[in-house]
Amino acid sequence: MTDTPMIDLSDVQKYYGDYHALRGITATIRPGEFFSLLGPSGCGKTTLLRTIAGFEEISSGMIRIDGRDMAGVPANRRPTNMVFQSYAIFPHLSVAENVGFGLRRLGLDAAEKTRRIGTALEMVGLAGYGARAAHALSGGQRQRVALARALILKPKVLLLDEPLSALDKKMREQMQVELIKLQRQVGITFILVTHDQEEALVMSDRIAVMFEGEIAQLADPETLYRRPTSRRVAEFIGVMNFLPATIVSEGSGRAALEVQGLGRCEVDAPPGGVASDGGTTVGMRPETLTILYDGQAPTDRSADGTVDEVVYYGDMTYYDVRLDGTDRPVRISMRNVFGRPVLNIKARVRVGWSPGALVLFR
Amino acid sequence: MKAPGLYGYTLAYLLFLYAPIALLPIFAFNDSVVIAFPLSGFTTSWFSAMWEDSSMWQALRNSMIVSGSTAILATVLGLFAARASTRHAFPGKAGIMGLIMLPLVLPEMIVAMSLLVALLAAGLDLSLWTVILGHVLICTPFAVAILTSAFQSLDRSLEEAALDLGETPVSTFRLVILPLVAPGIVASLLICFTVSLDEFIVAYFLAGTEPLLSVYIYGQFRFPSNVPAVMALGTVLVAVSVLLLAAAEYFRRRGIARTGGSAGGGFV
Ligand SMILES: Nc1ncnc2c1ncn2[C@@H]1O[C@H](COP(=O)(O)OP(=O)(O)O)[C@@H](O)[C@H]1O
Ligand SMILES: [Mg+2]
Repeated sequence: MTDTPMIDLSDVQKYYGDYHALRGITATIRPGEFFSLLGPSGCGKTTLLRTIAGFEEISSGMIRIDGRDMAGVPANRRPTNMVFQSYAIFPHLSVAENVGFGLRRLGLDAAEKTRRIGTALEMVGLAGYGARAAHALSGGQRQRVALARALILKPKVLLLDEPLSALDKKMREQMQVELIKLQRQVGITFILVTHDQEEALVMSDRIAVMFEGEIAQLADPETLYRRPTSRRVAEFIGVMNFLPATIVSEGSGRAALEVQGLGRCEVDAPPGGVASDGGTTVGMRPETLTILYDGQAPTDRSADGTVDEVVYYGDMTYYDVRLDGTDRPVRISMRNVFGRPVLNIKARVRVGWSPGALVLFR
Repeated sequence: MKAPGLYGYTLAYLLFLYAPIALLPIFAFNDSVVIAFPLSGFTTSWFSAMWEDSSMWQALRNSMIVSGSTAILATVLGLFAARASTRHAFPGKAGIMGLIMLPLVLPEMIVAMSLLVALLAAGLDLSLWTVILGHVLICTPFAVAILTSAFQSLDRSLEEAALDLGETPVSTFRLVILPLVAPGIVASLLICFTVSLDEFIVAYFLAGTEPLLSVYIYGQFRFPSNVPAVMALGTVLVAVSVLLLAAAEYFRRRGIARTGGSAGGGFV
């Protein structure tokens, strides 16, 4: 990437009185990127978004948008627009008046205004709704109006604060897809705040996982899922099994381990190495483990164990398997295949695994 | 209602509260100078007597000036106070808001006396303006209470959305905040007007030589022959007051419904 970053956050600090809400956020967001801020409630996602929008002053650090320092630039003069969590639809205005609100200052003639409002409404699938009263809309429609209203000014960055959290599950999944399509269509940088890891994985080019005012990891969804750099990130995103391990030797980016229940193996060491007295933890995702049926040869390594619990989902079955020599079961997700019966509790099984899928935590 | 005793009590209470008001129209239309039962016949002559009384018109004109100015001034002050208290945190906020609301429970007698002393000490002549001063003091808490509820039901992100879309704080106030709290402003104007119109003690103490309607009515009771005409005037005033209060409540509720809240509280 030789592009100048669209947003450049450098050591952004925010205090609310004594409360340290943002603790040194440093990140760059690329032009045209779908970027997500993911983290549990109260970790500072909204605060960070609001400092970018200009609703909150930062205590120290610097925010640049498209190369320009935003210190002292008020919200109404920043090249960003926001979709609020509550949508903030003006209740006294019609849908068209809401969508065209930002055009007032551009000095357009009435015909051009009407045309742009029409285009914006069409873009969010609300063509023909312009004359409706804003308070007569459903949740999904309000959200679309909020989107159209924010996009009509063609901002450099669109900020979205949990825009889907008020919708029901089905509507939410539909809107996720629509938002991705919309973002590709308009090519504007999107910054999405969400506490829903699945939503972030589905929608984003890159994700910053935040805990307590700090970015714990910033990566693309696949890296975040496969190679989380801390147990905390690993636990927040999807399901991760953990097994205790001891380090036998370490050097040149690799580490030899003795993993409880799996045996000796060699894995990638995290950058900077494992600073420990030998005891550590490895993680593995449920789908990287397989239960081998009788006579099936493992693609890599295998270990024996006993089925502890079976959770049947129709297309999938989750097995909790206690590997021999361990005291806690690991979760294994298996696609149900025609002709292979679901296993029973207490069944003895062989579990196929691969050292390459193990994640070693610092 | 489970206990019939409580039901009876409630009824008696309401009767005691409102029955005397019902006497106003009864005697206003009664064809006798004497305010007593039995009634002696129907007449509208007291209304025409009231209509032809030039000093009544003078008092009414004065009252309109005082109540109109009071309503506007108290509402403007209330607007500032309500806005500050719902949007900003500042040191001593609770104490300041408490002092603004205090005249609501302060005996009017004390307000009237202390203002009179202060005005005389300052060497100011008593006039309609001094009454307006006193009435603004009394009415501002009503305005603050009504407007605070209007501002509280206003989602803060509406303002931020307007700023975000390029409007300045001033144009945001005009384009978003004002239209949404407008029903509250109308309600405040109506309530303040009514409170000021009905007020007697401050009007009596601070008006100087200019009689206001409430003071004029009190004066008429010294002349028994004028009392039925006062009853007629009272009937008109009751009707107008009820109308104004109903309108105020209508606007207050409409404002809250418009900004998405649910109506509750209020004075009527
Ligand atoms: N205006 C404010 N005054 C004081 N504390 C605040 C304010 N806004 C947010 N906070 C605090 O900052 C923390 C982060 O809030 P927020 O950014 O809204 O979290 P998130 O959006 O990740 O759920 C919370 O603990 C919250 O209580
Ligand atoms: Mg939030």
